[in-house]
Amino acid sequence: MKAENKRSVIVGIFVFLGIAILVTGILTLGGQQKKFVKAIELRAVFDDIGGLQTGNNIWFSGVKIGTVKQINFYGDSQVEIIMNVEEEVVDFIRKDSKATLSSDGLIGNKIIVIYGGTTNAPPVENGDRLQAVMPLDTDQMMETLQTNNENLVDITADLKVLTGKLADGEGIVGAVMTDSILAENFRKILNNLTVASENSNRMLAELNEFTAKINQEGNLFNELATDTMMVAQFKETLGTLQATAENSQEMTEELKGITEKFNSSENAMGVLLNDPEFAEDLKSFMINTDSATYNLNKGLEALPYTWPFRKGFKRKAKEEEKDNN
Amino acid sequence: MAEEKDDKKPFLSKKIDKFFTGLASAYRFVLRFFKEVFVPPYELKEVVQQCYRIGVESLPLISLTGFIVGIVFTNQSRPSLEEFGAASWLPSLISIAVVRAMGPLVTALIAAGKVGSSIGAEIGSMKVTEQIDAMEVSATNPFKFLVVSRVLATTFMIPLLVMYTDFVALIGSFLSVNSKELVSMSTFFVQVFESISFLDIFSSVIKSILFGFTIGMVGCYKGYNSSKGTEGVGRAANSAVVISMFLIFIEELLALQIVNAIRTW
Repeated sequence: MKAENKRSVIVGIFVFLGIAILVTGILTLGGQQKKFVKAIELRAVFDDIGGLQTGNNIWFSGVKIGTVKQINFYGDSQVEIIMNVEEEVVDFIRKDSKATLSSDGLIGNKIIVIYGGTTNAPPVENGDRLQAVMPLDTDQMMETLQTNNENLVDITADLKVLTGKLADGEGIVGAVMTDSILAENFRKILNNLTVASENSNRMLAELNEFTAKINQEGNLFNELATDTMMVAQFKETLGTLQATAENSQEMTEELKGITEKFNSSENAMGVLLNDPEFAEDLKSFMINTDSATYNLNKGLEALPYTWPFRKGFKRKAKEEEKDNN
Repeated sequence: MAEEKDDKKPFLSKKIDKFFTGLASAYRFVLRFFKEVFVPPYELKEVVQQCYRIGVESLPLISLTGFIVGIVFTNQSRPSLEEFGAASWLPSLISIAVVRAMGPLVTALIAAGKVGSSIGAEIGSMKVTEQIDAMEVSATNPFKFLVVSRVLATTFMIPLLVMYTDFVALIGSFLSVNSKELVSMSTFFVQVFESISFLDIFSSVIKSILFGFTIGMVGCYKGYNSSKGTEGVGRAANSAVVISMFLIFIEELLALQIVNAIRTW
C-alpha cells in the first residue's frame, strides 16, 4: 500500500512536470508571437503580395510589432491585408505611414514593413488603412540584370575589337604600344611635360612669393590695393594728368597751326623760312650790312680823333684815370 | 456433411479471410474499449500503476534517446546549412523538426518497443496461463482491469513523454549549437519559439495521444488474443511492436496531411 502510494505521487509529479513543460511552451510561444497582447487592426491594399501568408510578421523600425491576421481579395485583382498590430506601439505609427512587402533575410519569410510617417499626422487608429508601396519585384530586378548582361556582352565585344587593334598596332595607342620610335618620342614628350610642369611649379612658387611680397604692408601695390586715401589721390593725379594731356594736346594743335603758318609763304616767318628768293636777297642784304658795319667801324674808330668829338674823349680818359688812382 | 464443408470453405481466400476477420475483431476490441471506459467501476489504481510503469519507468530511456536525437540531428544538419551560410537557422530547423515530427515519432517508436512489447507479453502470458479466465470467474472484469487501464495509461503518458523528449532534445541541440556557434540559451530558445506555432504544439500533442492510444490498444489486443502457449506470447509481443510501429508511421503520414491542410486553410 505504501509502495502504491509512493508510485502515485511519482506519477503525479511526472504528470505535473509534463504539463508544466507544455504550458510553459504555450505561454512562451504566445508571449513571443504576441498572441496574448491587445492589438488593433490595420489594413493595406497591395497589387501583389508575393506569397505573404497569414501569421507572417509585421515590422516597424526593425521591431516585430504584430502579425498578418487575414488576407482577402479586394476590388478587381488587388489583395487586402489585415494586420494585427500591438496597441502599445500604436502611438509611434502615424496615419501617413506606409506599408511595404519585404523579407526577414535573403531567403527568409515574407514580412510587412511599416515605415515613414510624420509627427504632423495623428497616430493610427483601429481599422485605418495604410498606403501600400509595392517593393521592387524580383522579376523586375532580373529584367534589369538581363539588360546589364546584354550591355556587358556588347562592352566585352567592343573591348575585344579594341584590344585586337591595340595588339595589331592600329591607332595612336596601338602605335605607341608597338612602335618603338613613337614610344621613344612619346617618352620624350612626357619628359618635356615633366620639365614643363616642374617649371610651371617653380613659376607658381615665384608667383606665390611675388604675391606674398605684394601683400606685405608698406608696399606700393599693397597700399594701392588696400589704402583708400591713396586711391583717391591716385584718382586726383590721374585727373590732373588728364587735364595736362588735354592742355598738351591743345598746345600741340596750336604748334601745329604755327608750323603750318611757318610752312606757308604768305607771312613774314614763312617767307623767311621758305622763300629762296628772299633768302638770296637777305643774304646779299647781310653781306651789304656786313660791309656797311665794317665801314661804320672804321668811321667810329676815327671819331675820337675828329673834331668836335676829340675834346670829349680826352675828358673821359682823364676821369677814368682819376678813378683808378 | 455438406454444410460442414461449406463452413470450412474460405469466403475469399484463407489469408484474406483471416486478415478481414482480424480487422473485424480489432474493431470490436476498440469498440468494447470505448464502451467499457465510461462505465464504472473505474480501475484508477491500476491506471496509476500503469502510468508509473509506462511513463516514469520509460523516462530515462526516452530522455536519453531524445537528448541524443537533439545532438545528432543538429550536427547532421549543420553542414547543409553552413553551405548556404545559414548556420544561424539551426535552432529554427531543430525546433520545427523536433516539435512537429521527431519528438512524437521517436517517443512513440521507443514506447512501442518498450511498452507495447511488455503489454503484449504480459497480457499474452496471462491469457495462455488462463489468468484472464480466472479473473472472469472471480467477478473481475479483465478487459477493464487489463486493457482499459493500460490503454488509458499509454494515452495519457505518451503525450507527456513527448513533452519531455521535445524539451530534452532541444537542450541537447542547444548544447551542440552553443559549442560551435556560441549562441546563448535565450537567443536559442527565442529562435526556437519563433519558428513554431500553436498549431505545431497542438498537432504534436494530438498526434502523441493518438500514438499512445495505438500502442496501448495494439499491445493489449495482441496479448488478449494470443494463443498457442509460450510461442503465442512471444508472437504477441513481437507483433504488438511491429504493428504499433507500422500504424504510428501511417498515423504520422495522415496527421501531416491534416495539419498541412489546416495550416493552409
